[in-house]
Amino acid sequence: MSTMSLLAKTSKVLLETCYKNISTKYTPLRFHGFFNSPFLEDVQIKARYEVTKSPEDWKYVERILPPLTVPELPQREVFISDFKPQGENHKHKPYYIARTRNHMIPVYLKIKQRGVKKLSYIRKIQGDIWLLQKELEKFLQPMSKAPLRMQVNEFAGTIIMNGDYVNAIKHWLKENDY
Amino acid sequence: MGSSAADKALNLLRYLPRVCLANIRDNPGAVKKSRRGRGQHGGDYHGDGNKGSGQRQNFMRLGYETGNNPFYLRFPWEPYYKGHHLRRQYPPLSLEQLQLFVETNRVDASKPIDLVSIMNTGLYQIFPDKHQFGVHLTDEGADLFKCKVNIEVQWASELVIASVEKAGGTITTAYYDQHSLQAMINTKKFFERGIPIPRRMMPPPDAIEYYSDPCKRGYLADPEEISKERLVLSQKYGYVLPNIEKDKDYTLLTERKDPRQIFHGLHPGWVVNLKDKTILKPQNEDLKEYYAS
Repeated sequence: MSTMSLLAKTSKVLLETCYKNISTKYTPLRFHGFFNSPFLEDVQIKARYEVTKSPEDWKYVERILPPLTVPELPQREVFISDFKPQGENHKHKPYYIARTRNHMIPVYLKIKQRGVKKLSYIRKIQGDIWLLQKELEKFLQPMSKAPLRMQVNEFAGTIIMNGDYVNAIKHWLKENDY
Repeated sequence: MGSSAADKALNLLRYLPRVCLANIRDNPGAVKKSRRGRGQHGGDYHGDGNKGSGQRQNFMRLGYETGNNPFYLRFPWEPYYKGHHLRRQYPPLSLEQLQLFVETNRVDASKPIDLVSIMNTGLYQIFPDKHQFGVHLTDEGADLFKCKVNIEVQWASELVIASVEKAGGTITTAYYDQHSLQAMINTKKFFERGIPIPRRMMPPPDAIEYYSDPCKRGYLADPEEISKERLVLSQKYGYVLPNIEKDKDYTLLTERKDPRQIFHGLHPGWVVNLKDKTILKPQNEDLKEYYAS
């Protein structure tokens, strides 16, 4: 019996202390994310290290950092790849097609209906879009038996046409210095 | 003997069985019996339709042939593509594209070209978490390729090696593990994390043969064997091998990384601080030993 009473006594004390602590001091804390975790401050780094500021080493760091903008086109006489930079003197032409920020011609192929429907898509057209449409039709119509279907969006400056004529259009635009 | 409720409860607990997996009961509502509510949607047919096969026929499981040896079990299993989802992938980059990158100034050919400089163009992507391990330089545009480059790729065919060497350049195939690739795909982001540059791991057993083969221009191959194979390949494809020893860009063309190194000129273990433009180099002996090649 004495052990029983001792146990009861100690458990009573334990319960009281627990109750006290639970009611007043315990606040549940759960860091379940990056943003509501406390900030790591004053980290003790045990490893010894040397802080260097050598321009020789920094040259290699700068070499591998990604450039913030697209590089300028270099002055080059011959391009072995099929790239051709845009010509000048477009001021007096009735329409203009700007290059993309990557210096490329904004003509794309859009494949829809799980590869069934192919659309050629020209962007960034300024000026007389209807004249461009006529000239393109004159160039592309011999390649197709059916009449070409073209959708001209004057407001957005785009022409969408049925069929894959991307390489032909790019070739024609390069020939005309765009 | 105590008389309070707490003491009585504690006393009782001593004689009760311990709580264990065998005697606990599920939470209320944890087990839900699948019931077909008779009047759920106004008493309709519960998706079985009206009359006929839908309601009465037993639809057998897919492939079951009423006791026949089923078709899908009739033939022995031939796992041609076993483990294909675990194989290393190398997204392609053609020689034509590389030529375009060089000509439009997206890649600087006056420096050694590696995965970092190709990723920095923003025109090529790899995802190491999708088992993509780097560039596969493909032979499209091999006949027109005319750039003198020192390029390091992860996979290249014989024709690609020949066309790069014919143009006066050098090519190396090198392996990078996934942690190194993660550091290489966006160096700025990696340096901002403030962690040391990892050391490059050795290739896995099934790749070590490729990367130590002089015919494949592996980075672990003997350089003398490689120069011999350069000559052999030029004779096979019938071109005059340009002499890079007498080239004015000899230092550029022969710049190579250490097998443990992932960035040119930066040692593994260094921490790059982009804000203060400083580099922290470890001094501990154990760290030096760990990062040494």
